[in-house]
Amino acid sequence: MLSKADYSAPFFVAAALVLFFIGGLLTTVVPPLIDTSWSKPFENNDPANGPTGKLRQLNEQELKGRQIYIREGCWYCHTQQVRTILADTKRYGWRGVDAPVSTPDEFVYDSPHLFGTKRTGPDLARVGGKYNAQWHKTHFKNPADLVPGSIMPPFPWIANDPQELDALVAYLQTLGRAKNWRPDNDYEK
Amino acid sequence: MQKEEIIQDAGEIPVAASAKYNESIHEDLTAKLFFISSITYFFIVGIIAVLIAAKFVMPTLLGTVPQLTYGRLRPLHVNGMLFGWLLACDMALMYYVVPRLCGVKLWSEKLGVATNILWNFIILSAVVSFLMGWNQGWEYAELPFFLDVCVVIAWIMFGANLFLTIANRKYQTMYVTLWYAMGTVLWTAFVYLTGNFATLFTTGVNQANLNWMYVHNAVGLIFTPVGLAIAYYFIPKASNTPLYSHKLSMIGFWSLAFVYVWTGAHHMLHGPISQWLQTITVVFSVMLLVPVWAAVYNFFATMQGQWHQLRENVSLKFLMSGVVFYLLTCFQGPMHSLHVVNAIVSKTDWIPGHAHMAVLGAFSFFAIAGTYYAVPRVFKTNLYSTALGNWSFWLFLVGGLGFFVTLWLGGFWQGWQWNNPAIPFIDTVVALKPVWTFRLFSGFFMFGGIVTFAYNILATIIGAKGQGVETQAAAA
Ligand code: HEC
Repeated sequence: MLSKADYSAPFFVAAALVLFFIGGLLTTVVPPLIDTSWSKPFENNDPANGPTGKLRQLNEQELKGRQIYIREGCWYCHTQQVRTILADTKRYGWRGVDAPVSTPDEFVYDSPHLFGTKRTGPDLARVGGKYNAQWHKTHFKNPADLVPGSIMPPFPWIANDPQELDALVAYLQTLGRAKNWRPDNDYEK
Repeated sequence: MQKEEIIQDAGEIPVAASAKYNESIHEDLTAKLFFISSITYFFIVGIIAVLIAAKFVMPTLLGTVPQLTYGRLRPLHVNGMLFGWLLACDMALMYYVVPRLCGVKLWSEKLGVATNILWNFIILSAVVSFLMGWNQGWEYAELPFFLDVCVVIAWIMFGANLFLTIANRKYQTMYVTLWYAMGTVLWTAFVYLTGNFATLFTTGVNQANLNWMYVHNAVGLIFTPVGLAIAYYFIPKASNTPLYSHKLSMIGFWSLAFVYVWTGAHHMLHGPISQWLQTITVVFSVMLLVPVWAAVYNFFATMQGQWHQLRENVSLKFLMSGVVFYLLTCFQGPMHSLHVVNAIVSKTDWIPGHAHMAVLGAFSFFAIAGTYYAVPRVFKTNLYSTALGNWSFWLFLVGGLGFFVTLWLGGFWQGWQWNNPAIPFIDTVVALKPVWTFRLFSGFFMFGGIVTFAYNILATIIGAKGQGVETQAAAA
């Protein structure tokens, strides 16, 4: 049937595109129409349904911090997704409480998305509230000073720039906190 | 007599056709320019590659210079290798191969030269952007928007040139390489638009899904088809043996056209994306074995009884080891998409091991093989040194294998440790240090491969000037 494509270029082009577009459309345009949780911001008031909370949009400072996170390529070494793997929920949990699995509705306002592909460093999906600003500052100056053996690069130009540092830390503190899951809430308490 | 029969079958054209017309109709200026640019970037970006590998061993290396931090050099490395080296070299080879398979000149050398200038502008601007941290935040689609537009324009110029050459062709039947070339032009256009433009109108998981469709198909529907286009042309050519089966190449091509695009979401397995989409993507990922095996079987069967040629022939060495790496990568891919395996290897150092086997081990090997074959011909001379060519092969092979194997072992071990939450994360970092050191040394070997390859080609080109006169004199 497709052997006509051996000598007819127009037929070839049509066939190659049709085959491509079947999968292309069914896997890109259709899924968000079927699964509406992809576009509905997280909100839960009933503890019986898991952690409560509400997703909010980032403010200007947090967005600036996010921009720094993108600029410095933090996302090449850090993912932002607690996967449906038991070890993920345990490892990224806190004081004996498992981290809730990441769900699409927690990322509705994210653009660009920062799910990441590589964990050279730990996942940061639930890092918000884990450390205070002083910790982050010391860490960015030279991570290995704080965590011996770390291969995270130093970021002195951020640590020494109060505006950038505050913005980046403010952003990190928002991560994963749409869901209110930390037992004593966080370091702030 | 036998030759005549062979030409009946489209599968045999690349071996037989060159005898039928005069090589001298080809100017090859565009191909020459793309060869020179791509190999230059291969060398420069190779230095960046070694540097970022070194940063895993010495994290503070050049650590106080913002422009040289890991997070800015990594996209430079990835984009530089993909678009500066590999795609540009693939384009050079298409500018070389397509006119030959059509029996006519390239439609327009002027347009080709303009494409090359635009391409170099894109790559050089990309270097500046990455060092400055102007990054859009999507993997493989980091380039600033303005440059994305330039890429689209360049691609249209490239595609138009190829398609118009094909429209003018003398041979009615199109050899499989031409299908792959056309497929690459068409699919890339849509895949690129999805990853760089459609993503702008979406957020969150929806956007990630489009991004992974692009990332996956940047390899699956750009580098794979153009790589196979090269392999299908140069394996028969370099071994002077007709392709084993035309039918098998058809099966491979059309199954690739249908199956590949479904599998993007396997980058989000276990992640925040709908379960049913994960299931679909796993099923199609396993189906990828069909197009892969069809192509690989065809190449092996072509070489049957011809393996001894590998000893003497630098191009064939690269081609056939590339085929083996292609088979291995494409076996790994579907395996990673099984949930049990994915739970161990995903997000670990295994993945760069896998990715490098695809893009370096398979597709760069094909491109290098094509370059070794085509450059002496477009410059009408002989390769500067076969011995040096063999050196480059062994350096790439040893470095590549060292790189892949250590990262698989290390990555598997890393994933194993991660799945035991009692092990603190930092211990899993420290445990991998020997792996990263070994990887750095493999990187030195690979860089040695780049240097010997680039030098050999450079010396061939420079040497060609004097010789060109001789050949002309001989012809007169
Ligand atoms: C080369 C890879 C790499 C890059 C780039 C990188 N990190 Fe890290 N990061 C690590 C590693 C490894 C660790 C674990 C050791 C440590 O805590 O320092 C880590 C740890 C962290 C932690 C502590 C997480 C926890 O739960 O203990 C935070 C927060 C963090 N990084 C933020 C960042 C930010 C923000 C950036 C960008 C400015 C960044 N990292 C860039 C590798 C990296």
